[in-house]
Amino acid sequence: MNRSIFTNPYVLTAPAFLLAAFIILWPLFQIGEISLNDVNRFGQLRGFSGLDNFTAVLSDPQFLAACWRTVIWTVGIVAGTILISIPVALILNQDFYGRGIARVIIMLPWAVSLTMTAIVWRWALSGESGMLNSALRGLGLIDENIQWLAQSGTAFPVQIAIGILVSIPFTTTIFLGGLSSIPDDLYEAAQLEGANGWQTFAEITLPLLRPFINIAVVMNTISVFNSFPIIWATTQGGPANSTDILVTYLYKLGFNFGKLGEASALSLLMFALLLFFTVIYVRLAMRGDRA
Amino acid sequence: MSLHWLKVAALSSVAAFALASAASAQTVRVTVAEYSSKTGAYFEKAATEFEAANPGSDIQIEVVPWDVLQQKLTTDISGGANADLAIIGTRWLIDYVSQEVAAPLDDYITPEFKARFIDTFLSPSVMDGKTYGLPIAASARAMYYNKALFEQAGITAPPANWDEVKAAAEKIKALGGDSYGFGLQGKEIETDVYFYYAFWSQGGELIDADGTSGLDSEAAYKAAAIYKDLIDNGLTEPGVTSLNREDVQNLFKQGRIGMMITAPFLSNQIKEEAPDLQYGVTAIPAGPTGDRGTYGVTDSIILFENSENKEAAWKFLDYIFTTDKRAEFDENEGFLPVNAEESALPLFADNADLKEFTGLLPDARFAPVIPGWEEIAAVTSNALQKIYLGEGEIQPTLDAAAAEIDGIIAANK
Amino acid sequence: MKISSKLKRSIVSWLILSPLMIAVLFPFAVMLITALKPATEVLRPTWWPSSFQWQNFITMWSATNFGSALWNSLYVAVLSTALSIVVSIPAAYALSRFRFVGKGFVQQFLLVSQMLSPIVLVIGLFRLLVALKLLDNLNAVVFVYATFNIAFSVWMLQSYFSTIPKDLEEAAWTEGATPWQALRRVFLPLALPAVTVTAIFSFINAWNEFVIALTMLRNQDSYTLPIQVFSLVAGRYTVEWHHVMAAAFTATIPIAIVFAWLQRYLVRGLALGAVK
Repeated sequence: MNRSIFTNPYVLTAPAFLLAAFIILWPLFQIGEISLNDVNRFGQLRGFSGLDNFTAVLSDPQFLAACWRTVIWTVGIVAGTILISIPVALILNQDFYGRGIARVIIMLPWAVSLTMTAIVWRWALSGESGMLNSALRGLGLIDENIQWLAQSGTAFPVQIAIGILVSIPFTTTIFLGGLSSIPDDLYEAAQLEGANGWQTFAEITLPLLRPFINIAVVMNTISVFNSFPIIWATTQGGPANSTDILVTYLYKLGFNFGKLGEASALSLLMFALLLFFTVIYVRLAMRGDRA
Repeated sequence: MSLHWLKVAALSSVAAFALASAASAQTVRVTVAEYSSKTGAYFEKAATEFEAANPGSDIQIEVVPWDVLQQKLTTDISGGANADLAIIGTRWLIDYVSQEVAAPLDDYITPEFKARFIDTFLSPSVMDGKTYGLPIAASARAMYYNKALFEQAGITAPPANWDEVKAAAEKIKALGGDSYGFGLQGKEIETDVYFYYAFWSQGGELIDADGTSGLDSEAAYKAAAIYKDLIDNGLTEPGVTSLNREDVQNLFKQGRIGMMITAPFLSNQIKEEAPDLQYGVTAIPAGPTGDRGTYGVTDSIILFENSENKEAAWKFLDYIFTTDKRAEFDENEGFLPVNAEESALPLFADNADLKEFTGLLPDARFAPVIPGWEEIAAVTSNALQKIYLGEGEIQPTLDAAAAEIDGIIAANK
Repeated sequence: MKISSKLKRSIVSWLILSPLMIAVLFPFAVMLITALKPATEVLRPTWWPSSFQWQNFITMWSATNFGSALWNSLYVAVLSTALSIVVSIPAAYALSRFRFVGKGFVQQFLLVSQMLSPIVLVIGLFRLLVALKLLDNLNAVVFVYATFNIAFSVWMLQSYFSTIPKDLEEAAWTEGATPWQALRRVFLPLALPAVTVTAIFSFINAWNEFVIALTMLRNQDSYTLPIQVFSLVAGRYTVEWHHVMAAAFTATIPIAIVFAWLQRYLVRGLALGAVK
């Protein structure tokens, strides 16, 4: 094999690695610094305070509640998205009339910025002036307006549903890519041996799709865990903090209350939490996947 | 190889920008909070007019939406990259002053400049005897009511106290249809203030004489009970906790709400969006002893301590606080005149709606100027939301909130 | 009449997908209908405007400075995507093809670096940019977006590249091709679907990104689309909803076009089938 620049892995990796490191490490270092100090609301350091910020965050009852809700939020959206995306990808992988159009439609939620999606949904979910209620009433499905965003019992599930809707395009795309890497001969062979649809799925498709499912789980978990716009635009974490997840709680702490020290400590805790679970998942589920 | 390229690129971009920024010594940057689509246009126009009258000067207006103003200001200040002037909510001023971020203006204020202002509005920006900001926007609150609905329901006069409010709301409810009696805001900013209208009318004080929260008082329990009662009896619009002030205003503009309490800019909105709506403005309902309170609020424009163009910035401030410019701004946005001469202009003096608001000014209360007020407001709002939803009994919820607020006050001493 | 199996498949497929499609299209319907309503009707939840105010789109265009924001967004999205892909492909290639010291570390780092929310990084990032005097500069935004996308792009590309068998390139090497030629003629065509997906994702991220742009840009002339649209809603006393919806709707069109154009690249077999 010729030795050339194109076979030196360090040269190939360096630009990407250095750029990414540069943009992440410096702010990370800043956060670390802020979290260990007493900071005024403008981020100006006022004196070393050790772990005070961390204990303040950990002893706040809101923190635990937001933690728990974040778990529900993340698991709900990721699981829901994967469960829906697999059949959708399977269907979109088949050849049928209007497949191109179907694909573009399914991808559309991806085309709108998350903030705008959230704002439009908030508008549509309004109890008295919203078009969802007027549609449901027009179809005869409900008699009276449902006040969707007035309490967490209805608001949180709706927010999770919106989260699933906006995650489906990306996940479906990953699965489509994965499905197209499964060679047709496998399916032909299975047909020859008389396997039915379910067996084909369970024994050929699913195992070969597994690396892609894992990628989807990890990517989605990371972005959903930190996803801010949906909850913020619809309920701002309310009413009375009942739909707060860690990242909305973080925003309030840092920018509304001006407690940047605690906000930085919280963001490091969130980072640690996410890191912990993702590493475990990667270890357990993805052991065999890497070349 | 690629590293070298990167270094060169980084260095040359730094050099380029160093050169560019050296040229802007006389530029005055102004962070402007956006009230409506007219705000940006107004300030750009003021900037152009000022630059024409003062050749060599350069005013740069940076428009920021209100919702992200605090975030933007925080990042700007933390990076030392803030503008020379900025509009802020006066309730935030205390943090800016205590951290020496805002500059005192007394050196620039001449007696005649000071005389331009109505004192009620200038005083919230005065701390430790020094003036730290000028009131760029001022507002109070009054009760709007739907004359057409009142007539339909057989209500002859606008309610003067809370009992009459309830009676009027019941008559409107009896009309059936999708109209509601009393518009109650239960979400986002000023949810706590909406409660204070009732609270003050019952004689409550936000901060007691001993410096602790006034939420654990009879006045608070009574006020909360009044609102809860209205909600439970269907006398307010449904879904209170999902509606912010704008949402309730939207319902009012559609003619579906009998009464709601809000600021003068609603009049402007109604003129543009619902010109056929017959409405009236009256005082905020009083309590049993005739007590009533309106919420006075100002936004201030401040000069930053680290500004390098204070003289030029002051000149611009002087310009926008002349009567003509103030009249233009207040007319656009629907605010109250802070400038004495301005308030005498027919545009404002003959405005029946505005008269109601200015008539309430003697009863005007402002948010207490104490650090941590944002957090306190949030605690209060949360408690109220719990009560409105029926998730907490009035007395224990308010007591818990008061305790939390006391903790915040103590921590910030 | 015999119904072809493709037609049967089509009907069944569309039937199964329809609930999802309704959910997906619902917000777009809301956007379009609200955008077409006359200003006084906007607040009523009716599903059919009394008159179709197509000119709302035109008034929205000037009211929100849409043209300039659109251009800024396109500029930023295209350039940052290109930059990020150009840097990521070699790195992903290296990670999927070679074993080397530090490989595991690099992979972990790239994955981990995506776990920090931009909200959290914004203050530190801001100070960095102030120090470099790179504020209110669209090129700086391009740079930041590109670097943020690198971690994800490398991760994605590397996963796909790992499914492309090495034999093809090795075969090319034994036939005397240089690594560069092997890369260009054999590998890249097979990697195209993966690169396409990654490019789409980077483009969309850049197109829709909000927090960083808001922090770094000052002038209304340099604002990108998300900021302009958001500023219509955020904290104003009167929100002109028909303009907001018109703007949101129009902002999706470029992406929908990009999708429609690129989605066919998502079908072609990712290598294994090409062994034949």
